[in-house]
Amino acid sequence: MKPILETVDLRKTYKVGKIEVEALRGVSIKIGAGELAAIMGPSGCGKSTLMHLLGAMAQATSGKALIEGQDIASMNDSERTEVRRRKIGFVFQKFNLLPALTAGANIAVARTIHSGHKVYGDDPHLTELLELLMIQDKMDRKPSELSGGEQQRVAIARAVVNRPAIVLADEPTGSLDSRNSEIVLNMFRELNRKFKQTIILVTHNPELAAYTDRLIEMRDGVVKSDNGDHISWDISGEMATAGL
Amino acid sequence: MKREIIVASLKARPVRTIVSVLAVTLEVMLILVVVGLTTGIRDETGRRMEGVGADIMFQPPNSSMFLALNNANMPVAIGDKIAEIEGVRAVSPVQTLVNSQGGSLEILYGIDPETFDAVTGGFLWHRGKMFSAPEEVVVDDWYARAKTVDVGDEVELLARKFKVSGIVEHGKGARLFVSIKTAQEMTGSINRTSLFFVRLEDSANTAAMIKRLDETFPTYPARDMRELASLMTSSSIPMLDAFINTVVFVAVCIGVLVIFLSMYTTITERTREIGILRSLGASKAFIVGMIFQESVFVCVIGAAIGVVGSFMVARLVQAMFPTLVVLITGGWVARAVVFAVASGILGSIYPSIKAAAQDPVEALAYE
Repeated sequence: MKPILETVDLRKTYKVGKIEVEALRGVSIKIGAGELAAIMGPSGCGKSTLMHLLGAMAQATSGKALIEGQDIASMNDSERTEVRRRKIGFVFQKFNLLPALTAGANIAVARTIHSGHKVYGDDPHLTELLELLMIQDKMDRKPSELSGGEQQRVAIARAVVNRPAIVLADEPTGSLDSRNSEIVLNMFRELNRKFKQTIILVTHNPELAAYTDRLIEMRDGVVKSDNGDHISWDISGEMATAGL
Repeated sequence: MKREIIVASLKARPVRTIVSVLAVTLEVMLILVVVGLTTGIRDETGRRMEGVGADIMFQPPNSSMFLALNNANMPVAIGDKIAEIEGVRAVSPVQTLVNSQGGSLEILYGIDPETFDAVTGGFLWHRGKMFSAPEEVVVDDWYARAKTVDVGDEVELLARKFKVSGIVEHGKGARLFVSIKTAQEMTGSINRTSLFFVRLEDSANTAAMIKRLDETFPTYPARDMRELASLMTSSSIPMLDAFINTVVFVAVCIGVLVIFLSMYTTITERTREIGILRSLGASKAFIVGMIFQESVFVCVIGAAIGVVGSFMVARLVQAMFPTLVVLITGGWVARAVVFAVASGILGSIYPSIKAAAQDPVEALAYE
């Protein structure tokens, strides 16, 4: 099996007026299924751009971005929308829950969009998730009636409810206090261990890296270091590493 | 699920929702009440003409079937010639006048009571009696109720004071009846008349009689009274169709602009929400469909309130002005609802396309 996510010389150039800005200058990484990885770097290093490309939110200028072997870098908008619907789950710094809906409805929206029709009945996976995230009794509340930590846990449930291939979390603790940050990070680790969910955290916070198995550091649009360099990918693409 | 998002969005912005619904309500009411008034007045006029009981209305050359639009007249002596034709039972001359005093527009009939009764079968009296003096007037029960007048009261018509001599059941052509001599004197047309009502021995011969009258008096229109009501369509009244079309156009424009503004504002407010839905994998079609459904939902609610409101206004108008009839037909209700929904769809085309075209990354970054 090939890595679940792979980029090959991925580049992204923005045009700001007449000036071209190279946000990504050839990023090549591989992420295996079930990994919990962190992409870290200072502001402006290109990590958010990389997350948008990996999350099929934007089109690359050149290079490849393969998710389960499918190149999403050159896809048009509707193809990328389909990839997001089927394979990606997002967790954002500002939670990004729909404010007019309850927590339960926010999760139901993701299920409906994923399946293409309204989803009825209980889902054992969802029940398990809500218990794990300790928000099963918050489903009737609107985001404004939840704490920051609770909102982020609802956002995590929304991101993973459809069992996406990859969960991308952009500064998931950026709006939380240290106690809630710790809870959220532990939950990411639990999700990774219990459901073998592939999770990529994008952050500028070095403390967050301690919760992940792998750290990819970026600077000036390129990967500066990757402690997963020692991972060897077998011929079928499976990870075979002594440490993992 | 889309419905939940739409309902939640409408609830979250109550002022916008109420204003949008009210605008569509106004659109529907504008169409139904204005069209209902024109249709109602036209229809009621037609029924009143039918109620005269004559078989034929005979008029001077170049006359309209709408009596308020006529000022032509002809010699009363023509009536004698018509009466001589075999098969004619009675002929009654009527001099029409238009009274616009007192904030209303009414047709007065100047009649000869004897021949008018012979043609129409006579009035059904509520109270009082036929006029017996030049300054007396007979009014119908709707007019009496609208103007709160009774027998013996004074009314001013065409700058002349009349005393109400009697009140009759409505439906005999006009609401006000004076002596034909008085009417002739008021119009300066002594021994002339605006029309003749003709009653035949056998109504089945109406078509043959009209043909004969056309041959004898080639330029004088003779109309079948039973067909008169059906001939009184909006297209036969000069410019009425244009007026109705203008009202509908203005109403639809109001609807389109309000829905456009409402949806344009809401997609700007909800840029981030649209970005969230797009990040979850919602397609452009999903976003467009959601905006369309939201505006259609608003329009349907507005249209429903508008229809109910129009019927309430119609009742109110009739209570306040008994001589006015607001006729709201099922056909126009359906058309008004279609116009309301169409204006919602038209008004949300651009906002929905704009919403769907938003870049998800930029939409998520929107504050």
